[in-house]
Amino acid sequence: MDPSITTATGFTPLLAARLQMALTLGFHIVLACLGIGLPLLLVVAEGRFLRTRDELWRTLARRWSRAFAVLFAVGAVSGTVLSFELGLLWPKFMGTFGSVIGLPFTLEGFAFFLEGIFVGIYLYSWDRLPPRAHWLTGIPIAVAGFASAWFVVTTNAWMNTPRGFTLENGVVTEADPIRAMLNPAAGAQTVHMIVAAYLVAGFLVAGAYAVERLRGRDTPYARRAMALGLVMALVAAPVQIVVGDWAAKVVAHTQPVKFAAMEGQFRTEARAPLRLGGIPDEEAGRTRFALEIPGGLSWLAYGDVDAVVQGLDAVPEDDRPPVAIVHLAFQVMVALGTAFVALGLWSLAAYVRRRALPSRRAFLLAVAASGPLSVLALEAGWVVTEVGRQPWIAQGIMRTRDAVTEAPGIGWVFAGSMLIYTILLAGTAVVLRLLARHPLPRGLPGEPSGPRAGGGTHAA
Amino acid sequence: MPPETAVAGIILLAVTAYAILAGADFGAGIWEFNTALRAPKRERELIYHAIGPVWEANHVWLIFVLVGLWTAFPAAYAAISRALWIPLLFALVGIVFRGVGFAFRSYAAGAVRQQAVWGAVFALASIAAPFFLGAAAGAVASGRLAVGEGGTYDGNFVTGWVNAMSLYAAVFGVGICAYLAAVYLTREAKMTRDRALEESWRSRALTTGAYMGVLAGTGLALAATEIPALADGFRERAWPLVILSVASGAASLVLLTLRRYTTAAIAAAGAVAAVIWGWGVAQYPALVPPAVTVENAKAPAAVLRAMLWAIAAGGVVLVPSLAYLFYLFKGKRPRETDETGSTAGGDER
Repeated sequence: MDPSITTATGFTPLLAARLQMALTLGFHIVLACLGIGLPLLLVVAEGRFLRTRDELWRTLARRWSRAFAVLFAVGAVSGTVLSFELGLLWPKFMGTFGSVIGLPFTLEGFAFFLEGIFVGIYLYSWDRLPPRAHWLTGIPIAVAGFASAWFVVTTNAWMNTPRGFTLENGVVTEADPIRAMLNPAAGAQTVHMIVAAYLVAGFLVAGAYAVERLRGRDTPYARRAMALGLVMALVAAPVQIVVGDWAAKVVAHTQPVKFAAMEGQFRTEARAPLRLGGIPDEEAGRTRFALEIPGGLSWLAYGDVDAVVQGLDAVPEDDRPPVAIVHLAFQVMVALGTAFVALGLWSLAAYVRRRALPSRRAFLLAVAASGPLSVLALEAGWVVTEVGRQPWIAQGIMRTRDAVTEAPGIGWVFAGSMLIYTILLAGTAVVLRLLARHPLPRGLPGEPSGPRAGGGTHAA
Repeated sequence: MPPETAVAGIILLAVTAYAILAGADFGAGIWEFNTALRAPKRERELIYHAIGPVWEANHVWLIFVLVGLWTAFPAAYAAISRALWIPLLFALVGIVFRGVGFAFRSYAAGAVRQQAVWGAVFALASIAAPFFLGAAAGAVASGRLAVGEGGTYDGNFVTGWVNAMSLYAAVFGVGICAYLAAVYLTREAKMTRDRALEESWRSRALTTGAYMGVLAGTGLALAATEIPALADGFRERAWPLVILSVASGAASLVLLTLRRYTTAAIAAAGAVAAVIWGWGVAQYPALVPPAVTVENAKAPAAVLRAMLWAIAAGGVVLVPSLAYLFYLFKGKRPRETDETGSTAGGDER
């Protein structure tokens, strides 16, 4: 079937397949971040319990472990969807390059295996193993989550900078899987993603408890839970600025077209300005309404205000990504990243002066907002790397429209998937809410005795 | 042994592990139907108790199979994805809802109606997943998929997998899961020292086992008449595995009668493993018969070698971890009454 033909559902197969991928990956990426970040919080909380014997830490770890169990299950199945979809939606891509990117996926398989094994042990052996041994079984989960992310993202990096293979008549005749895994984009992209995972997980946890405190349940449990999540996110935030700058420089060198789209740079020019905001006008070939810092882009990308930055005009229109989406998503990500650092400075200033995080309403509102906003930043970043690579599925090697499946009815699959993912999202929210409503144990320091009344948050 | 044969063997090993481990988890969900209607609560608790700690690890074997296939034999993966996208999609929906159904059911403690809904989702999805995976496997085994060497497909998206062999394999897949689960659960029931529970699972296992014997005989007859190429493979190479499967299956029934549940579980798993290896050996070197073979679909040698190293290194970490998991939760010792999936959320009451 010609991929440009519109089907009964109103989508071209290519658009339907891309939307399908965007929906399922966009969903999974949030759960993956929680799968990387939450185990670290669990290990820290339980470790603090072992050291201080403060029951509040143990309660935190134990209650979070159940929320984590639910999220891990949803993440495991939504990840499985992706392993199937790579072939179902992009058979040409996987049939051609599956072997080249297979090594990191194989290693990721083992990391996921370890994660699954130790999640089972950790969740079900609270009373079966001695406390210290139980704590130790949490560590492989945190390590495997980190490793999984690293391996998976190297394969996405490979799509951005494909290396390590010889292609003859559309068939890979030789491959160097190590070189493919360690492609030029791998370093910056994997670190950027993993730091994002800690940032998102930390903010989602902190945000949930900020909401609880705003609703008047300002318990020591909620305060400590918020602080723990917030510390992880706020440590990650400034690191992310540095890593993000590194990642952008790598993009400038390896994918100049994507870089030009990110920055709304239509013309190739020396002393290119850094544009803050602005709306790219693809018809007119310029970015309007941006605040421009002369030479800023040249300096950021190449360390020299007079450096030449390649514009979109360097490649035919057919090879350009949709500029407006990429530029907008990039601006959103950068703005939010900067705001997270500001929130960190606010917290730090308060801590230096009063040895405590601020507890006034404005601060709690900011923390509450940071949860969903960090997810927005995450998704925006993902849009930058994926939409920015278009029209290529493997940069410069294979076009997305050539890789898409010829199977009919992908539009219907997408419609069905939207329904299924809505159910998954609703189910997860409802179950997490049930867990959060479960009363705290009696006799915790500072807790009112007896079970508390209902009213819930999205945190356990 | 050339690296592609070694990798193909490892992939088949992973398929086997998925069938005898995750298959039993699906089977537990299938029995949920039976137990939901008329069984006391403790029967269902046994199911949740048994699969709670292990189902996620067992599930990963499938991921391993998929990744192994696309890495080592990308054309085979592309061919299967193209030809069987409908049953695979249905299986995927089953896998998704089995997982979340179980997790939501386990952690929605206290909300009775929600637990009922998610329990039903878990049970239905546990049937759908092995049914459609079985149908896909049957379509491959039938050798009639119009695949090309490079992983192309020119056939029909429905008739490719809606035929006698596919439907047989779908039912057989569900049956395998139900049988394995019944045998394993008999063993677990004995550990609870609840005699009535043990007896009800034992009789379920024996009944299902007898049905499976008949079904397996039908399958051999079907393969012999419908799929000449596969039948030749069985006659020439794979016949010892057929004998092994029949013997193991019969032994598992005898051992159940004798109340030797651990050896019965091993025999039942062995019977299933022998079926899978029999199929694999009979159709070797074809991966997706007739066109896609180990030889023409294999990845470049450097990839296969890297994979073998990765598997060796990964195995060093994986094997002891997996052994520890099963030692902790499936070891031979009386069941303690600690927190488990079914009562998760209950420790602080």
